[in-house]
Amino acid sequence: MKERNRVLEIKDLKVNFHTYRGEVKALNGVNLNLYKREILGLVGESGCGKSVTALTVLGLLPENAYIEGGEILFRGEDLLKKSAGDIRLLRADELATVFQDPLTYLNPVLKIETQLVEVFMLDKKLLKQAVIAQKTHGKNVTFTDILSWKNDSVMESTNLKVSRGEVKKMAKDLCVDLLRLVKMPDAERILSQYPFELSGGMRQRAMIAMALARRPSLFIADEITTAVDVTIQAQILHLMRELRDKIDASTIMITHDLSVAAEIADRIAVMYGGNVVEVSSTVEIFRNPLHPYTKMLMKAIPNVKKPVKKLKSIPGTVPEMINPPSGCRFHPRCPFAMDKCKKERPKLLEAVEKHEVACYLIKG
Amino acid sequence: MKIYEYVVRRLILMIFVLLGISILVFYLARGFPSGIAPWAAYITPKMTAQQIEEVKRIHGFDQPLHIQYFYWMRDILHGDWGRAGIWAQGRPVSEVLFSHFPYTVELSVAAMMITIAVGMPLGIISALKNNKLPDHVSRIIALTGYSTPSYWFGFMLQLVFFYYFRLWGLPNLPSSGASGMEGAVSWVTGMPVLDGLIAGNVQYTLDALRHLILPATSLAFISLGFLARIVRASMLEVMRQDYITLARSKGLRERVVIYRHALKNALIPAVTLAGIFFAWLLGGALITEFVFAWPGVGQLSLQAVSQGDSNFLLLYTLVIAAIIVIANLVVDIAYIFLDPRIKY
Amino acid sequence: MAKKTAEARTGEWAARWADIKYTFYLLRKNPLVMAGSIIAIFFVVLALLANFIVDPNLANPSGYPDFDGNYPFERKLVWNRDSIISWPGRIHLYEGPEQFLLGTDSWGRDLFKMIILALPVDMENAFIITVGAAAFGTLIGALAGYAGGVVDEAVLRITDIFLAFPALVLALVFAAMFGRTLSTLRYALLLVWWPPYVRLMRGQILGEKEKGYVEALRALGGGHIGILFRHILPNSIYPILVQATLDFGGVILTFSALMFLGFSPSPSLPELGNLAASGYEHIFEAPWLIVFPGLTMLIIALAFNLVGDGLRDVLDPKLRR
Repeated sequence: MKERNRVLEIKDLKVNFHTYRGEVKALNGVNLNLYKREILGLVGESGCGKSVTALTVLGLLPENAYIEGGEILFRGEDLLKKSAGDIRLLRADELATVFQDPLTYLNPVLKIETQLVEVFMLDKKLLKQAVIAQKTHGKNVTFTDILSWKNDSVMESTNLKVSRGEVKKMAKDLCVDLLRLVKMPDAERILSQYPFELSGGMRQRAMIAMALARRPSLFIADEITTAVDVTIQAQILHLMRELRDKIDASTIMITHDLSVAAEIADRIAVMYGGNVVEVSSTVEIFRNPLHPYTKMLMKAIPNVKKPVKKLKSIPGTVPEMINPPSGCRFHPRCPFAMDKCKKERPKLLEAVEKHEVACYLIKG
Repeated sequence: MKIYEYVVRRLILMIFVLLGISILVFYLARGFPSGIAPWAAYITPKMTAQQIEEVKRIHGFDQPLHIQYFYWMRDILHGDWGRAGIWAQGRPVSEVLFSHFPYTVELSVAAMMITIAVGMPLGIISALKNNKLPDHVSRIIALTGYSTPSYWFGFMLQLVFFYYFRLWGLPNLPSSGASGMEGAVSWVTGMPVLDGLIAGNVQYTLDALRHLILPATSLAFISLGFLARIVRASMLEVMRQDYITLARSKGLRERVVIYRHALKNALIPAVTLAGIFFAWLLGGALITEFVFAWPGVGQLSLQAVSQGDSNFLLLYTLVIAAIIVIANLVVDIAYIFLDPRIKY
Repeated sequence: MAKKTAEARTGEWAARWADIKYTFYLLRKNPLVMAGSIIAIFFVVLALLANFIVDPNLANPSGYPDFDGNYPFERKLVWNRDSIISWPGRIHLYEGPEQFLLGTDSWGRDLFKMIILALPVDMENAFIITVGAAAFGTLIGALAGYAGGVVDEAVLRITDIFLAFPALVLALVFAAMFGRTLSTLRYALLLVWWPPYVRLMRGQILGEKEKGYVEALRALGGGHIGILFRHILPNSIYPILVQATLDFGGVILTFSALMFLGFSPSPSLPELGNLAASGYEHIFEAPWLIVFPGLTMLIIALAFNLVGDGLRDVLDPKLRR
């Protein structure tokens, strides 16, 4: 049952970067599963490899990156073995991303309309169908309608000619509709504006709209709440929750903020030093953290209700990825480190039902 | 502030800069006795000594230098820039300058077109294939252009396409002048190619083009290297930006990413530079004009310098400076339009 | 207290040294830069040794036999009969015992030897002008940028005035006014070349001021001059270096252009542009007089430009990993 619902499976992914100072071993055998219609929170400190994982899935790694091994199975096919052209088509169709800082990720010299319409224009057939549907049924086609078409593969009669102008107008109308869906105020006017004229929250919504426009089945949100202040953060999380019900996608929510993950994720995967060290449902992780790292993370969260004199932090620093610690990468900072931990990296194994850990203390 | 306020402010600044330049050149020209006496500009050979003294007094030559400046100001405000020396048949300086100006413009425009047509693709290729073979090749081409002595290249072109071609019995390109059929067409713009087109005289136009190719190429070869470098640097920086990553993540074809997202951003500094470049070309085509005996203002200025004709030089430098300052202004305005983020 | 600052200083210099090593590493990776550096160094060495390899007296036309209007006909404007390169057209071929690698000029001087003798003249010029312009411009730019306010505005306006001139015109006017000695020409070019440095340095200073460490140093009691020289200048030196390297080639080209246009102090001075100028009258009969000096200039300028260009790529903070 699990297998049929699995959308993405990352198996033992290893990625390195060539740099002047040496090989940065960013991903050290990442294992991750993503199921239909769930929101998976990918949590970890800066530099633990969360974004690299996302970029690898999308095929957007920089030139000096080198995939050393592993598989990324999306609906049974290994993405790593696909050609650049195929991956591009997948990006246009199924994989969507929203990035962290909307100011740098939006093209400053192009209007919002241009940047949004171009996503729709990738699938002209769809737009033509929409125009035809609109003409035949006599009422406006909205974005939500199109969303539902994804699963139905509705084919209207295509012997009606559709002009370019009509296609463009349909695209534009869909944009307005989509912006309204992401709760963008004054959607029509926004289209003709430039990114720098919008506020941070609005820019973030625009990026989310660009991601949704291709009705993805896999949605990766990379630290989308980091660059905005707390009130906007709340709004965006609220939006994500609403959208989850509307769009039929699985989401990976990358964040370093546990509280954000707690709010929105169904399951949480904790990453450290290029590995996934613990995976389970949100409730379970918070109630019963097993990995020493996770436990310390939990303790480090200040509790509003129970003020303490001194904030607990995890001793030591994030490992240097050029010469990472051997075996389990957490062992230098782990109070329970054993000899075994230094020698070989623990595998991610199911300790309790639906709760996997990579730690010799718990299992193995 | 509104855009016309900005323009007005810049124009006022420009006047100050021009004043500064005029003072500098005036001092250089009149302060050092060399070459043609400046009052020779106002004297005809038939004047008596008394008349000459009178002329000198009217134009203030008997006064100290700083007072002379104001006399000069008064004169030029009346449109009287004096006469050139014998080397230009004693014609009024303004007439000499402006009758030859179109030739320089024609040359500069042609060179500019070649520069952009070759320089831009060179820079873009260089950036997209950074550190691979096409990059190295286009870098060498660009830098060679940049390092070539302009007269040397002009001569090489002449040597091959004029002399050797003729020797080998091939159709050759002319080595000097702007047109072989002077006077065949009426003077409208002063630029042979355009005048030929306006008059509908195909033969004349073709002849003018034949004369234009070599000098324009010579001039262009040097500047295209410069443009290519700028475009390359700009393109490289743009391609590493986050919004390019996002554009790729949308599943757009790489070609679309480059043309729609990257180029527009990358070309902004290049385009603005092109404007300044053009003004610079106008003033700096001296050597090329000399080598190809092109009847433009550059060549005139060389003669004026060797003859010490201060009146001509004054007008010449001021005109060139004004053009460059205006070009700066135009470029800044273009920048405002191209980049929606700029606040002024 | 003194010990602490000494330690801090060594730490600072150690970091700078590591940075420099990294720069060289990047440079080594670029084949073009390596080629350019080798050629450039070769020519510098050649220039330094030139006067020892070739007898400088050979440059003096009066040293040649029959220099009194009656040039030795055999040696004037000739090309070697047995040379690998053959020129089309009517040229005089030399049949005598001597070997002229690159032909002779109108005084019968061996062109190859003249080019070698011209190297120190050109290089020295380029060096003086580049270093002078860079030093002067940098200083003024630094003062303007650091002081800000009225001083800054005034300097900017003056620089604008100079920048509004095409370099050649200004140099020409200057040369025409002040005569044709070598030093006048040098001053002329210096005058033309310093404004870009002002702009560069000023931009750097303004950027550094934004970085906040200046404020911090002032709070710790640092004096203006100390901060300027010990901290800001070393950090801002890179673009200046790049520009100076690029300008080196540019100065050689411009200076020779001046010579070519007829502003040389003496027609027999061995200088690349001068040599080419004498070839202007005989261009079609004796093309080598222009081809080879020009080619030499091209190669030298190209070498320095390759280095400067590569340096610019490497030192661009955004392109460093």
